Amino acid sequence: MADLGRAALVVSLGLSVYALVAGTMSARTNRRRLAASARNALYCSFGSTLIAAIVLATALVRHDFSFAYVAAHTNRTLPTAYTLSAFWGGQEGSLLLWLLVLTGYGALAVALNRKLMRDLTAWVVPVLGGIAAFFGFVLVAVASPFDTQTAPLDGAGLTPSLQNPYMVAHPPMLYLGYVGLSIPFAFAAGAMLSGHTDERWIVATRRWTLAAWAFLGFGQLLGAHWAYVEVGWGGYYAWDPVENAALMPWLAATAFLHSVMIQERKGMLKVWNMVLVALAFELSVFGTFLTRSGVVNSIHSFAKSPIGSWFLAFVVLSTIFSLVLIMWRLPLLKARTKLESALSREAAFLYNNLLLVALCLTVLWGVLFPIVTQLVKGESRTIGRPYYDFFLRAFGLPLLLLMGVGPLIAWRKTSVRALARTLAWPLVVTVACGIALAFAGAGSSKPGLIAYTFSAFVLASIVLELVRGTRVTGSVFTLIARNRRRYGGYIVHAAIVLLAIGIAGSSAYGRSKEVRLIPGQSTSIGGYTLTLRDVRRTPTPNAIETRAVFDVSGRWHGSLSSGDNQYFFPPEPSREVGIKTSWLRAEDLYVIADDVNLKTKVVYAKILVKPLVNLIWIAGIVFLLGSAVALWPDAREQRRLVARLAPARA
Amino acid sequence: MTIILGILLAALVVLVVALPFLREPSVEDDRLDAPGEDEVRRLGLVEERDRALAALKELEFDHRAGKIGDEDYRELVGPLRQAVAGALRAIERDRRYVQDMTAFETPDLPAEPVPPPDEGSPPVPQPVTEPYPPPDEGTLPAPASVPEPYPPPDEATLPQE
Repeated sequence: MADLGRAALVVSLGLSVYALVAGTMSARTNRRRLAASARNALYCSFGSTLIAAIVLATALVRHDFSFAYVAAHTNRTLPTAYTLSAFWGGQEGSLLLWLLVLTGYGALAVALNRKLMRDLTAWVVPVLGGIAAFFGFVLVAVASPFDTQTAPLDGAGLTPSLQNPYMVAHPPMLYLGYVGLSIPFAFAAGAMLSGHTDERWIVATRRWTLAAWAFLGFGQLLGAHWAYVEVGWGGYYAWDPVENAALMPWLAATAFLHSVMIQERKGMLKVWNMVLVALAFELSVFGTFLTRSGVVNSIHSFAKSPIGSWFLAFVVLSTIFSLVLIMWRLPLLKARTKLESALSREAAFLYNNLLLVALCLTVLWGVLFPIVTQLVKGESRTIGRPYYDFFLRAFGLPLLLLMGVGPLIAWRKTSVRALARTLAWPLVVTVACGIALAFAGAGSSKPGLIAYTFSAFVLASIVLELVRGTRVTGSVFTLIARNRRRYGGYIVHAAIVLLAIGIAGSSAYGRSKEVRLIPGQSTSIGGYTLTLRDVRRTPTPNAIETRAVFDVSGRWHGSLSSGDNQYFFPPEPSREVGIKTSWLRAEDLYVIADDVNLKTKVVYAKILVKPLVNLIWIAGIVFLLGSAVALWPDAREQRRLVARLAPARA
Repeated sequence: MTIILGILLAALVVLVVALPFLREPSVEDDRLDAPGEDEVRRLGLVEERDRALAALKELEFDHRAGKIGDEDYRELVGPLRQAVAGALRAIERDRRYVQDMTAFETPDLPAEPVPPPDEGSPPVPQPVTEPYPPPDEGTLPAPASVPEPYPPPDEATLPQE
């Protein structure tokens, strides 16, 4: 079977190369049948990759340890769901997933747009073919998941920290996001290559960008929750280079989603949009390079492997390609209109863009700093949390404020008087909230208080927008149905507000305590009293579990246990934390038993109270809801598009 | 078995990739259906029209929702209406130009045979679709009743000649 997988990958690579070469020739020489042939090659490339993926999935389910990949990442006692998740648990499998999603997305995007935008898709095919050819080459020549060996009796098993339900969903979500950014990039490049830089590429990729952005955002939240419950250090985001690798393209894509609206409304920022699309794509590939090259230390990194240099070369080449293309087509990308006023919706979007890109580049610098210092000084220096926290506040808080102001400003121009009138109610709500929070003791953290009050401002402005719109249309459902993108966006804004409140609450107002306890001893924190009841050791088929059991009283009554698991396959420990969630207060009591001594029964533990942390996870659901509303197909929009492009098809 | 499957896979993809050439081994016109100069120009004009209509609709909505004051509305609505009218005129001009050029380039063809008067009813002209509604928006809301700024105060007091 491994031979079939290998053959399918070789065929997929050949087809991608054909799509690249024949697609370029057909688009350059305007040849219809050759273009159709290149398009078919892209479709077949997906089919062939799918066969390779089925071969690997079958080998995983059948515990076929003659596949080196299966033996390295699974064993016979691993539950089926985790056995299947081992598909993306290792380097080679995750690359295969990347290629599968890329060719699948590419085939679908081209198939959906081939009739309405023939000139554009003729160039999109070779661009997607080129990207797929790179991944195909890496899978065939550098990191094949189909290497075989003499089958051992059992496999090494999956890393314990990956044996978590969130890890079944988190990586595929991220890949759907990362790879999804290839589609707007390919269409933008196609538009520039064809010389037809009208809005069709934006129309064609609007939903693809939104979907990729939503997957990437939700995938990060899933990853944050995994880190929170599984890694066991008490936090959810550590500004780890690999976490940042997912954040950066998401920030660039967020900027693009906003700035593209200015192009649609005013025909401005064409160059900027091309730069943002290219940046989002390059950062997604760069993130993959970071994860796989071993140049940065991260708990999320794959083992150091030779594919890093290939990825670096690809990032460099594709960046040069994008820059040359944009420079070449600069005359076509000139705007015909100008910003009419600094007090307008488009100006607010512009400020938002500058802040998002500034935050993105700041994070990028933080990620690159150890590599740069290694190259320049010969020693790697890491940038710590204070750097990121500072810039998150410096750029994030104004962004939050703009999220409230932006929707209230009209397009083109707003007079100061009209703006003051519009902002009056949200400002009253904000000041009232700020004063109430200060009296409630939130003033102990200034950034926290600012984040809370700005959040109140954003929520008030969203409510005001909905009330005003509903007054015009008569129903909130009609209002949302008429402009799903805008109101879906407002729901996403509400999700970001929940996220901001959750982050501010859990980081600025959280409490923690490190204690040494023996059975019978108690400690108190944030209204909870924890008494160590006992320590115990329990052997299970998969691991030996060591736990410290605490009785909790005060705000909540019950018991919590925390400790570690010593797994047999692979022989690795895994920290297990105890979490009690109060949904009413959105608060968590979080216990980390660092050291449990079974002989002396002494337990060293860290206890944390994290107020409002659960708003972060609720934000994820609201985020998905908003994205779904914005993504929901609009039949009227489709009809208009067809009507607009109809003569182009004739 | 695996080798046979691999060969079958390769043969199948070669077949699918070659399909456009197998279906049409020789064709008179193998040109890609790309928009010509006229079509690109038309697309640009249609984009302009849709953009202007969307902006006008947005302005009407914002005004009705109370986001824009009467003063700002009066200042902005005129240029936007002009932009819409200009875009519609430009599309019409372009359509006529293309029609004229096509008629100019068309070789002498025999005139359409006129149907005898007693053969059925006369042909009904095709309905022309309205350019409304603009993209991203539903039906155009009724314009708000705003007092026209005209005549400007200083003009009203001008002495009659």
